[in-house]
Amino acid sequence: MAKDININVHHVTRVEGHGNILVNVSKGTIEKIEWQVPEAPRFFEAMIRGRHYSEVARIVSRICGICSVGHTLASVKASEDALGIQISEQSFKLRSLLKHAENYDSHIVHVLFLAAPDLLGAPSVFPLVPTHGEVVKCALRLKRFGHEWGSIIGGRTTHPTRVVPGGFTDVPTEQELRTLRKRITDEMLPDLNTALEVLLSLAGKFPKFERQTEYMALHSDKEYGLYDGVIQTVMPDGTKEKYKVSDYRKCTNEYVDRRSTAKWAKNKMGSYMAGALARVNNNFDQLHPEAKKVAGLLGMKPLCFNPYLNSVAQVVEVVHSVHEGLRLIDELLAAGIKREPLVKPTRFGSGTGAVEVPRGILYHHYSYDKDGMCTGGDCIIPTNENHANIQHDFEKLVPELLKADKSEKEMELALEMLVRAYDPCISCSTHYLDVKFTR
Amino acid sequence: MRYIIGIGNYSMADDSIGLRLIETIADRGMNTDFEAIDLSDNGLNLFNYLSESTEKMLWVDCVKMGKRPGEFTVFSPELTESQKVLTQMTTHEGDMLKILTMARQAGYPIPPIRILGIEPEKLEPVFELSPILQSRFEEYLGEAIRQIRSTDW
Repeated sequence: MAKDININVHHVTRVEGHGNILVNVSKGTIEKIEWQVPEAPRFFEAMIRGRHYSEVARIVSRICGICSVGHTLASVKASEDALGIQISEQSFKLRSLLKHAENYDSHIVHVLFLAAPDLLGAPSVFPLVPTHGEVVKCALRLKRFGHEWGSIIGGRTTHPTRVVPGGFTDVPTEQELRTLRKRITDEMLPDLNTALEVLLSLAGKFPKFERQTEYMALHSDKEYGLYDGVIQTVMPDGTKEKYKVSDYRKCTNEYVDRRSTAKWAKNKMGSYMAGALARVNNNFDQLHPEAKKVAGLLGMKPLCFNPYLNSVAQVVEVVHSVHEGLRLIDELLAAGIKREPLVKPTRFGSGTGAVEVPRGILYHHYSYDKDGMCTGGDCIIPTNENHANIQHDFEKLVPELLKADKSEKEMELALEMLVRAYDPCISCSTHYLDVKFTR
Repeated sequence: MRYIIGIGNYSMADDSIGLRLIETIADRGMNTDFEAIDLSDNGLNLFNYLSESTEKMLWVDCVKMGKRPGEFTVFSPELTESQKVLTQMTTHEGDMLKILTMARQAGYPIPPIRILGIEPEKLEPVFELSPILQSRFEEYLGEAIRQIRSTDW
């Protein structure tokens, strides 16, 4: 039907504007489809110049309060690469355990508090409290557990204090790890099973949409890549290619697009996707058997080309992280947890670190002078890596929605849900209160 | 336990006032008889501090309330109605008043809460407070300490 559509989702609630969705259709002809990101640059790379290597992670952690563990880990890995530091096996396992805690925590919030209301036909989680009280309480307990898990390992979950170049300034006690393990099995797993039952009942409600793209994630021969590995991409035909982490610029190829003040990225295709779906598509075989079982129940198998199912991939990863967390705790306890001295630098140069944060593969790169002072930095953030992919999703989705004769409101919801599936890290979100005094 | 909780985004000028206050309290070792919590933008982590053992909470946040930039007031959340509209596009945004309402509805124990609200001048991507908030920072800090140690509430 030749109709007019004008969608302009512009978020006036914040100062600089979130990602904006713009669609203009005139008499059935598409005139404009745009995913705009008018986010102001924040110059973190400039801010760390002249800082000692011991200070850098603490500064860049502030790039994002939600992904602060990931930024801290990518930062210390880059510094350690530049300074010739090899951390101990215990530090490696503790950091992996902390990475699992962050991904678990963030995925729980995204799936249960942001994506699930869409599937239940609610505008947000808040109206669900009176109607789905027990489920919301279960979700809150799961969220709370993620915070406690991260705090036990990292000192605190938001901007962790214990993770520094060379290792950990302090480590959890054996008793803390034993208590954490018991609480995972006795308290968290039953709640997780309840949440999974709810999600299974909603699985059929995810929009049906597919677009073939390239998927990029960390890959390790030893385990499902999260804390460590090389860069790997998988193409729509299933072919995979690996890149050294130090070659990250060769596969991210950042560029500027007029629709965005944030940089976009691409590799072999016009865009690639980073995040849980990219990880599952790259590393499905290395998921924990329990996670694979849940993937099967939710109908997810690689290669999955539906970006809406990024949320389903996050559910699969939650299960993976919980079971891998138990394995890591057991190994740490078996080896005997102990405080270790920080490993000292053996050289000063340039280095790169990459980790998988909830929204995808994150790169940090630094250079240091002979005194250990930072002379340059580069950070490539997964949300920016995904912008071009969102734009290309829009360009395929809008014509399909028009062909299906969807209303303007239905199209707007479909586009918003798509953006939500990526859970973009809007770094300039503000948290001020806006109040009217009633008494 | 008594808590001073800072909320905000460190890189968005006056939105960071609560976080900077918490940082200063920790740097000066003033948190001897209360805990100073940097909640950053993880509003849902408030639930970790809602328990029977929580004696009271003071939130420090910038608040759009129609005053002149830099002015502050201390109020109870029950006296207000949130005017904030969330985009629902990202887990990175938040409204603490809505989260508190959710906690009440979900049956969490709610301790006495007061908000030290500071009217912002600038909410933009800058890593420092506006000059007016900087100049009054010690006043905010003094008021926060006075409030958390007060026996009036």
